[in-house]
Formats: sequence, structure tokens, C-alpha cells
Amino acid sequence: MTQEHPVGDPPALRVEAVRKSYGPNAVLKGIDFELRSGEIAAVLGENGAGKSTLARVLAGSIQPDSGSLSLGGRPVQFASPRDALRAGVAFIPQELIYIPDLSVAENICLGNLRGSRYFSTPGRILRQAAETARRFDIELPLRMPIARAPLAVRQKVEILKALGRDSRVLILDEPTAALTNDESDALLELTASLARRGLAVLYISHRLDEVKKLCRTAHVLRDGLLVATHAVADTPVRTLVAEMLGREPTPPDRSTAAPADDGAPGLALRGVSCPSTVDSVEAVALTVGPHEVVTVYGRRGSGADTLAECLGGLHREATGTFELFGRRHRIFRTPRAARVARVAYVPAERKTQGLLLKTDIATNLTQFIWTKLGVLGVLTGRAERRRSRALIQRFGVRCRAPGQAVGDLSGGNQQKVMIASRLAGDPVAAVLHEPTRGVDIGARGEIHGLLHRVAERGVPILIVTSDIEEATTIGDRLLIMRGGRIVDRIDRPSLADQAYALQTAGGDSE
Amino acid sequence: MSDAPRTDELPDVETVPDRAPRRGPRLGQQADVAIQGVFLSAFLVAIIVYFANRADNFLTADNGITILATAAVIGIVSIGQVTTIISGGFDLSVSGVVPIGSVLYALLLNDGVSIPAALGLVLLTGCAVGLVNGFVITVMGVNPLIATLGTMSIAGGVALTLAKGVSIPFDDVDADALTRESLWGVPNHVWILLGLGVLVFGLLRFTVYGRQLYAVGGSPEASRLAGMRTRVVTSGAYVLSGTLAALAGAIISSQLLTGVAGAGSDSALQSIAAVVLGGAALTGGVGGITGTFVGVIILATLSNGMAILQVPSFYQQIATGAVLLVAVALSRLTQTLRNR
Ligand SMILES: Nc1ncnc2c1ncn2[C@@H]1O[C@H](COP(=O)(O)OP(=O)(O)OP(=O)(O)O)[C@@H](O)[C@H]1O
Ligand SMILES: [Mg+2]
Repeated sequence: MTQEHPVGDPPALRVEAVRKSYGPNAVLKGIDFELRSGEIAAVLGENGAGKSTLARVLAGSIQPDSGSLSLGGRPVQFASPRDALRAGVAFIPQELIYIPDLSVAENICLGNLRGSRYFSTPGRILRQAAETARRFDIELPLRMPIARAPLAVRQKVEILKALGRDSRVLILDEPTAALTNDESDALLELTASLARRGLAVLYISHRLDEVKKLCRTAHVLRDGLLVATHAVADTPVRTLVAEMLGREPTPPDRSTAAPADDGAPGLALRGVSCPSTVDSVEAVALTVGPHEVVTVYGRRGSGADTLAECLGGLHREATGTFELFGRRHRIFRTPRAARVARVAYVPAERKTQGLLLKTDIATNLTQFIWTKLGVLGVLTGRAERRRSRALIQRFGVRCRAPGQAVGDLSGGNQQKVMIASRLAGDPVAAVLHEPTRGVDIGARGEIHGLLHRVAERGVPILIVTSDIEEATTIGDRLLIMRGGRIVDRIDRPSLADQAYALQTAGGDSE
Repeated sequence: MSDAPRTDELPDVETVPDRAPRRGPRLGQQADVAIQGVFLSAFLVAIIVYFANRADNFLTADNGITILATAAVIGIVSIGQVTTIISGGFDLSVSGVVPIGSVLYALLLNDGVSIPAALGLVLLTGCAVGLVNGFVITVMGVNPLIATLGTMSIAGGVALTLAKGVSIPFDDVDADALTRESLWGVPNHVWILLGLGVLVFGLLRFTVYGRQLYAVGGSPEASRLAGMRTRVVTSGAYVLSGTLAALAGAIISSQLLTGVAGAGSDSALQSIAAVVLGGAALTGGVGGITGTFVGVIILATLSNGMAILQVPSFYQQIATGAVLLVAVALSRLTQTLRNR
């Protein structure tokens, strides 16, 4: 079985002919690959290619229809995540699961308490957690309630939780999608050090720059098939992207320059402030022209996140005013106020804030236009399905039918549904918070293109992002936030401005 | 806002064919509800066949009407209840509102108030309790269990106080308009049940309010952030539930020609049982009128059939509980198997 490996030891993980279908929908159509210990392999692919499904099969949270897995040469079968964990497969899912009221330490030890089977004391939990953290050289605020911990901490907790004494394989599903640059760097470092200890790592990501830095091999998944495996070092990014998409990538669409400002801004903020313990905003003023796309970049704690949330009406304590096409408003204090003013707000967390997860795609897509689609509040469903189909096409959502449950879509397609629903409502202006989190490269370009086309129609668009690449490529203007204020502005930014933007945003806070 | 730009529908909207598959394969929650629906209907058919074999006076038109007539009170309460359960809560206060409806209706009639006016006042009272529930739950943020437990107790107490602890026979023994037989020998309250069923079915299925109710119940936070009036939407469900519970109380009085302060004090549990049997989830966002209706009919058929077979009533209670547990457990099991 183990040919062509000089050492002759079996691979840490071998996957053979794994298939998985959901009803008529074949998601994995026979996947084969191997993972050696100490190797970090990337899994690349478009939204909906089947990456998370593959990861879930390997982690025992779903069962394949056919195919086999072996760990270190021993065939295994997982009936549950618990089985997989015991056999040495640690999995960090795309969406984290944690118990908000417990402390960091308690979350680490969850389900894995040593000592007595039924009893444990806070002291013992703390000691055990500290010991685990020390073993992997991770520093954590152990007593902090996890709900208050930043995402980067939660992710490390998740990793510690998953790593047992004898974990051999670690699977990370888009771990950096929601992290800022420094946080991602720290996570990459941690991953690399775990690999040096002999762990085999499967790394799912849409960020090719990370893959370049971190991974030795890359498996490209397309429509449920493994179409190629490359040594990352000698493969140009362009090739990887083309293989993911099954075609040459289209260059980012920023054809037309924004028409010159005719004086009247579409959206203008004045003296917007919002107190917050970690991320306050202090007297921010900015304008977005009627045909402009403006990006705001800031690290976590710079106030950028809070600024976006204020525009969505998420902060009651926000103060300040803004103008929409010459009309003065008080800053929104409720989400309803934003809706009434017809400012579309795309929140950062799609699962908890953006989507009606228990309903279908059509319901989600049309939730902002129900009143408009209905006659005197009566809806038959026909108009909704019709409009949904149009939106599905326009935003390139990969799904089977408008009646499909939105929770069954892949992460990136859920993101597209969320954005589409907000833009369907005929907004006067749009504020998007991390709009392409978890979206594949092809779709990311499509979403950016769409935003530009919406802007061309005269809708001012403000994008708040912690993704430096997005910040420097999509906007007509880039504003950099630091310490709650806008500290710099770059007109018509390009990738070349990245280093400067990163520096201005402040590296000294670390 | 005349100078505001418009992102009108893109031209491609009109060119999208409407001929795509009308409805994709049913998936997710919908499928789960569908599975449970098939399951329940099969179960209903099974018990009907069983009782029909055991008692020849079971499968008759008359007995059918009897079943509907006994189901009407719980049925009407359940129609309100299902909306609160979809909204993510439930309404225990119906156990206090049904008695208030019953007692108040009798008192008003005996005071010489006309039937329509008395009914109107009774409905308003139920509506008021619903408003209180809605306020306490959505504005004060009290958990629905506690909130409606409180109002249930208060309402029940008020009913007893109003009745001064005794039953209140109607002075006018012809004041049974609500429950009198009318078209095709079917009593009025059965028509009311069916009419309300159709109405609320339409409300849930074909209106913006219905869409919002499912949205708010299933994803409260996302709905709030989407700018829906979540408090109004949720309160609406409690108002409907309270109003219908009060109506059910008036119907009981009309049946008995007496206002009874203990009438329908088990309606909270009965209606929740029927709604859950009908596929609704207590976590909110899932449920419907058709399922609820089947749930109500199953419970009514069981007790009717067992009464005909002269099974003692305490066994009936045990059977009801067992059916609830088995039906819900089995449907969960099918879901788990489906999702493997
Ligand atoms: N429980 C489910 N029921 C039905 N279909 C599902 C289910 N889970 C996933 N799918 C489908 O399987 C396909 C692959 O989904 P998966 O989540 O693996 O994609 P992905 O490659 O991880 O995408 P992304 O980059 O967007 O996260 C999608 O088309 C999705 O709709
Ligand atoms: Mg995924």
C-alpha cells in the first residue's frame, strides 16, 4: 500500500474513494488523498465545492455513503465526532461552538475532564487547562468568560479543546476568515509549530496568501472531485485559482472611475461617537459620494467594527448625525431606524445576525421586500419565488431551488444570500461589514463587481473590513481607523498601499 | 426622498424564466415537518380504523360531528397557541383566560347584555390579557414560561373571584347561539373552529405578518437586526392566543348554559400537546395550522373512542400522554436517521 515512501511508515491519514450525497445532490464524488505527519496540506475550492463536507466526514460529524479512512495505516470508521476525537482527529469547524457562560478554562476542559469522572473543582479545571495550554505553548486568559474573549482567543480555545494527548490530525476549516491580520499571523504560527511537533494538518482556506506561507501541498477540490494536487512552492497562484474555478479568473472589476463629486455627498457622517470598553468610536466624520465605494480599514479595537455597527443601528448609546442626500438624520439607535431610512446594513456575523437560519432561501432573500411584493400584506409565495430566482442568478448563489433550507448552503453561498437580501430592498445607501468573509476568490470578485455596479447607480457604499487586501483593492477611497478615529485616507488605493495602511493602522498595539 | 437614487430591479429580472422547477426537493425543517405530518396522519388513520372495528357506532357522521364539537374548544385555543409557539414561546395563560371567558360571558348575559355585545367584551378581555403577556415578555423581557404562568394564575383567580366561587347558570336558557346546530346539523362552534382555522392558516401562510412571525420565532436576533418590529410581531401572537382562549371560554358556557370558573383549566397543556403533536418545535420558527389540526383531532378522537369503549377517563389521560411522547420521539428518530 505505501509505495514510493522511503521511510515506509504509513501516512497519518489516508482517504480512499469517499463519497457523500445529500438526497439527489452528490457533494463528494470519490475523494482520495494522503496526509503525512508534519505536513500541512491546503484544501482549496470554490464555495460549495465540498470542503467543509469533506472535513466533517473526516471528523466523524457526518458519515460518508462509501469509502474508507485510515489513520496511521489502521482502518477507522467514525460513528460520531467523539470517535474521531479519540482516534486522534481534531476538527475546528467553520462556525465555532462554545458555551458562552463558561470561562476559557472550563471550555478547554469541556468533555475532557480528568480525575474523577463526575466531580471536578474550579481549581483542578484551571490547573488542567493551564497545563494543556503550556504543553502547546499557547497563552490564554484562562479565567475570562469566553463570551467576552476576542475571536482569536476563542479559536485557540477551540484548538486546545480539540487537541488531545494523542491527536495526530488537525483539521482547520477557514480558521482565519474572521480574524484580523495579526491574529491570523499568530494562528498561522501556532499551526506551523503544531506541525513541527508532528501533527498532520489539513488547512481549508480561501486565502491563498496564507496557503502560500503555510502549506506544503494543496489539494484543489471542484464540484466534489479532487481535480489536482500541487506542491505549493512551485505553483503560481494563478494556476491554483484557475483550477478552483475551472476557468481563468476574471480580473477585479473596477472599470469606471467614480464620477467626480458634485459637491453633495450621498452619505455623510458628522461627529459620530460611541462609547465602548474595547472598541469605542470618537467623533468620526466621513463622506461617501453618491457613486463611490469607500472602505474603512482598522484593526480590532480601532473602532471600525463599532462604527459599522452604529450605522446598522446596533448601538443605542451612539451619538452624532449623518446626512443622506442632504437629509439630516440622527445616528440610528435601532436596526429599525436604519431600515426605515433605507440604509442597507450587512452585518458581520451571518449565522447569528444576518440569516433567518430556520427558513428557506426565498424567505431570506425577500425578507426586506415582503411588503412591496405583497398586495395589502398578502403574499402568495409566487412573487417571492420569482424574485428569489432573479436574485439567485444575479448574485450567483449556488443552490438547487429557492425552497432549499438556507442552512444547507455552503458558507460562502450563505454570505451571498445575506448580501443579496439587503441589496434587494432598494437601499438609498449601503453599509457592509466584512462583506466577503468566507467567500471564495471567484465569488469575492463577483461581489465586489456587484457592489461597484450598485454604486454606479448612485448608491453610496461604505465597506468596513479587517481584510487588508479587500480594503486596498475594492474602494475608491480607503479610510484608516485607529484609536476610534480616522487617522488617514488614501485615494484610489491599490495593493501597493498595503504595507503603508497596515503600518498606519498601528502595529504598536501588540 | 425624491432625490434619492433607486437601484431598480436589474433588467435581467424580467428575463428570468419562471419555468424553473416549481419547488425543489423539500429539505431541512420543511422536510422534518412533512415527515411528521405523514407520520401523524398515518397514526390518525390507524386509530380511526381501530376504533371503527371495535365499536360500530364510532364511524358515523353523527359521531364525527361529536368529535369535532368536543375538539372545538381545544381546537380554538390551539389555533392561538400555535402562533405563540411559532413565535418562540408559549402561552400557559389560556388556562386562566378560558375560565374568565366562561364566567364573564355568563355574567354579562345574565346582566341583560345582548349576545354579540357580551361576546365582544369577552374577546376584548382575552385580547387585554394577551397584550399584558406580550408587554411582559417583549418589553420587560420576562421568559414566556414565567410570564404566562403568572398571568395564568392571576386570570384563574380573577375568574374565581368574578364567579364568587360558584357556577353561574344562564337566566335565559335559549342563549346558546354560539353552540346551536345550524347548517347541515353542524353546531355553530364547529363552524367557528373551521373558519378560524382557515383564517389563521391564511395569516401564517400568505401574509407579511405570518412571514415575520416565523422569522422572529426562528431567528429573533437576526430579525431584530433586519429591522423587523419583533416586539409587535411577538405580542401579536399572544393577543391572538388570549382572544381565542376567551372565545373558547364563551363557547364552553354556551354549551353548558352555565359559566364555570374551572372550565378549561387544562387547556394550556392540552393545546400545547396538540400543537407539538402537530410538528411545531418549542424552539420556535416551526409549526403550522394543518399539523395542529391533526394534533387536535387525534387527541379528540382518542378520548371519544375510549369513551365509546367505556375506558375509564384516567386511562384516557395516560393514553394521551403516551401518544404525545411516542409520536414526538418517533418523529425525532426519523429525523435523526434522515440526517445521517
Ligand atoms: N446538510 C446538508 N443538506 C443538503 N445539502 C448540503 C448539506 N450540507 C452541505 N450541503 C451542500 O453541499 C455542498 C458543499 O457544501 P460545503 O459546505 O462542503 O461547501 P464548502 O466547500 O465548504 O464551501 P464554503 O467555501 O462556502 O464553505 C453545497 O452545495 C451545500 O449546499
Ligand atoms: Mg465550508
